[in-house]
Amino acid sequence: MKTTLVLAAIALMGGAALTGPAYAQDEPVTITWQMWGSDENDIAAWQHLADMVTEVHPEITVELQTTPWNDYWTKLPVLAASGQLADIVAMQSLRMPNFYSLLEPLDERIADDGFDIDAFDESIIGGMSRDGVIYGLPYDVGPWMMFYNKDKFEEAGLDLPQPGWTLEEFTAAATALTKDGEYGFGVVPNGYSIFAAALGADYINDEGQLDFTNPSAIAAADTFIGLVTEHKVAPVVASGANPGDVIAGRFESGNLAMMVDGPWSLISKNDTVQFELGLAPLPREEGDLNAVTAGSGFGIATSSDNKDAAWKAIQVITGPEALQYLAEAGRALPARKAEWTYWFDVAAADVAGAREALEYSLEHSATYEITDNWNAVENLMTQYFPLAMTGSQTPEQTMQTIQSLAQSQ
Amino acid sequence: MTESISTQAAVAPVRRRNRMSAHETRMAFLFLLPSLLGFIAFMLFPIVASLVISFTNWQLISAPSFIGFANYQRLFTLDPAFYTVLGNTLFFTAEYLVLNIIVSLGLAVWISGLKRGQRWFRVIFFLPTFTPSIAASVVWLLIFTPGGFMDLVFQTLSLHVPNLLLDPRLAMQAVIIVTLWANAGYNMVLFNAALDLVPQSYLDAAKIDGANAWDRFWKIRLPLISPTVFFGTVMTAITSLQVFDQIYVITRGGPGSATATLGFAIYQNGFSNYQMGYASALAWVMFLIIMALTALQFWFQRKWVHYDS
Repeated sequence: MKTTLVLAAIALMGGAALTGPAYAQDEPVTITWQMWGSDENDIAAWQHLADMVTEVHPEITVELQTTPWNDYWTKLPVLAASGQLADIVAMQSLRMPNFYSLLEPLDERIADDGFDIDAFDESIIGGMSRDGVIYGLPYDVGPWMMFYNKDKFEEAGLDLPQPGWTLEEFTAAATALTKDGEYGFGVVPNGYSIFAAALGADYINDEGQLDFTNPSAIAAADTFIGLVTEHKVAPVVASGANPGDVIAGRFESGNLAMMVDGPWSLISKNDTVQFELGLAPLPREEGDLNAVTAGSGFGIATSSDNKDAAWKAIQVITGPEALQYLAEAGRALPARKAEWTYWFDVAAADVAGAREALEYSLEHSATYEITDNWNAVENLMTQYFPLAMTGSQTPEQTMQTIQSLAQSQ
Repeated sequence: MTESISTQAAVAPVRRRNRMSAHETRMAFLFLLPSLLGFIAFMLFPIVASLVISFTNWQLISAPSFIGFANYQRLFTLDPAFYTVLGNTLFFTAEYLVLNIIVSLGLAVWISGLKRGQRWFRVIFFLPTFTPSIAASVVWLLIFTPGGFMDLVFQTLSLHVPNLLLDPRLAMQAVIIVTLWANAGYNMVLFNAALDLVPQSYLDAAKIDGANAWDRFWKIRLPLISPTVFFGTVMTAITSLQVFDQIYVITRGGPGSATATLGFAIYQNGFSNYQMGYASALAWVMFLIIMALTALQFWFQRKWVHYDS
């Protein structure tokens, strides 16, 4: 790769000297793109995007480097520490606070090129930003939603959840669905913040600091944990190996009627389950719903030597054609609003209420507010909320513990 | 003639010995080289590096800067979790060490007294030792998990036993049970082999003198296998201070901080929160505790370990 760079640099200088800078931009350049992806289909889809870049900009060749999802996040800091980051770095919104310092701020390029950033969903642009500075262009977006077992609702003779349903309606449905060792809902401890945001509670203060001890945050914790302790509509989970997986497993096997998940797992979930899957927005309190989103995109490494080419490339791989391609393959719900419809026709086609639920959630989408040490906060929620679920502590005490421990980290 | 030979002989051996030893040293060094290189690359260098890192605020992606003893200061004075973690680690080590030695010694004595099937029992109890601890822990997790096999058994027996993973006072017991199951077999095999080496004639002589089984164990067999018991105790203490796998899989340090140990805290700070400097400081505290405890055990061995000499 170094040789290519040197060659490119020499060619660039030579070109500039002979024919002037106007032609210099067209000199061939190879840039690298680090991306996650495990199976062949995944990798083929990303390779298709890389090829799209060369179609639009014949002088740019994008070299794709894939790593499976989990390993990607172990590898990324190591690559960064040893100065070997690729030119284009894939980044997830929830991990942006950890890694934004590796990425080039894009605001200036966006302003200079008159790039239309408003074509993207606003909440995920927020997710790709840190302190109001954009560090990446997103390719997908997804609000957390309520996945439900339609068969169970029909068995119990309940109305299917409709967009705009309230916490009260949700609790009533969950109560009716809880019987004979089966539960209406699954509480995943680190999903507290998603649930709290939906109810309009603030768990982060205006300065962006964790604020778990304000009255609205504690009230949301009371509601969230109350589903286990008071209403008994959700099972107690232990702090060990990923409670999220435990709840997902119980939902898929038909032991739980509702769980919170995102559109990114809709297709695989629909393939896995033996029952008819339904989709609803998260329940709201009296106010409007705040459906927080997560998503991923691409940034330019600060260490890159080909930032201009990388900027051109990420515009292509998050462009309308690329996102339409990903949507039609059912791979990602596009971050661009105009392309949503392609995804609705594929992934959401045979899931009850999916289109309405998604449209409603996206209408009420909000950036998922998280702190710089969100990893630590999530770990603390997983570790400490079970104490409140079993009644060893009150939700308020747990929130205070998490607050004080998170501040020391 | 005789004189000259003797003078020569007096000088030569010294020189030859020097030459020989230099040659031997070189050869020895050559043979030791592969292991030495491995030791330097995978032990010495990381140990020294972690000491250096523990004085920095390195967060993996940002350039580290030197912050003196700030990590250690935070550890001992500011971090509200540190003393809990330290207490958990010592509690685990103390309880597990005692139980491990009792169980493995008990099994070893029982097996060595068997007329038949000794070898089979040895294999059966040793099996968990070479089962990957992560895999074994996952199976135990399924047993302990709320609504899992254990709850089902207690329910069927109409016993009101709280779920081990949900009760902060009992969660550590779950970890100890799993660790005991997984590792007691190793010490058992060691002790069993040592017991087999105790000369039968000693035991027969004691029997004739009227010593009962209890006396023969405490006064003959145990003193004679004490070097092996000592080795087992030291090794078990070291590994139990480092306990991690079982906790990572079964409890993730919870509920609350009930099972957060030093090993788990190092992992969480370093690889989950990306605070390499702070994690290194924790690792050094663990290293020093292990050193101190091992030194203490070596000091104590003079009082109870009998070497045949």
